[in-house]
Amino acid sequence: MSGAAALPQVGERLPPLEIGPFDAQALARYSEVSGDDNPLHLDDALAQSIGFAAPPVHGMKLLAAFEALLRSWRGDLAIASLGGTFVQPLLRGEKATLTGRVLRVSQEDGVFVRLYAHGPGRAPAIIADATLRPRSPGSEGP
Amino acid sequence: MTSEGAPIDFGPPMEVVVDAALAQRFARETGVPPEGDAAPIAYPAIWLAQSRLRDRIAQICAETDALPVHESQRFAYEAPLRLGVRYLLAVAARRETKPSRLVLDATLSDVQGGAVGRFETVLRLVSRADLPGKGHA
Repeated sequence: MSGAAALPQVGERLPPLEIGPFDAQALARYSEVSGDDNPLHLDDALAQSIGFAAPPVHGMKLLAAFEALLRSWRGDLAIASLGGTFVQPLLRGEKATLTGRVLRVSQEDGVFVRLYAHGPGRAPAIIADATLRPRSPGSEGP
Repeated sequence: MTSEGAPIDFGPPMEVVVDAALAQRFARETGVPPEGDAAPIAYPAIWLAQSRLRDRIAQICAETDALPVHESQRFAYEAPLRLGVRYLLAVAARRETKPSRLVLDATLSDVQGGAVGRFETVLRLVSRADLPGKGHA
């Protein structure tokens, strides 16, 4: 009997993950940790001056959160890539729901998953994708 | 001035390390549970925000009177990123027009030169004359 985990099926949906809302302190902490000190994320007046009702959440903070979604779904697979396009800002105080669906599966190329982060707007905040592969024995990475 | 397609100098490769304490804080702020000695997938965002890179980006933006808006980001790995390990990060960049963009292509290798990862950052350069507008920053 093989110890290898079965790969997911094409079309399988990941259990959604709700994140946020993020307050000013959360954005300040992320700025400090990441080194992204763009004042747009922290300064209400600056955000309003370019048309936002509140400062936008760092796109990278949201993109990084997909790792939690992927690992809670299939922690036995390693994430080989994660990328996304920032479509529409999520603003401070707003929640987002992370979702995903398996689009392709192969032994050679791994598992390709389409990912979305949806805030309150009609358009997604992020359209992303990830590739996962079975872990090497004893490995925690790709 | 930078011109379309021409490589933009971001200096020699720099030595970077995954700081365990910083990785733990980064994971906490992005909702990622700890996992042994593996670093969060998006941890290199910290390296990409270093002042050496940001200052060069700011210089390029100033040349065109533009603001950088983070349009997309990609992290791809050949090998897992480990806590406490030293790596070399090489950054190359190029300008695109129509629309105006700055594309950073960062390559991470181990100290023996083995490929570890590749990270692409796309910044849309928004003319200040076109503000107010909306987008991620």
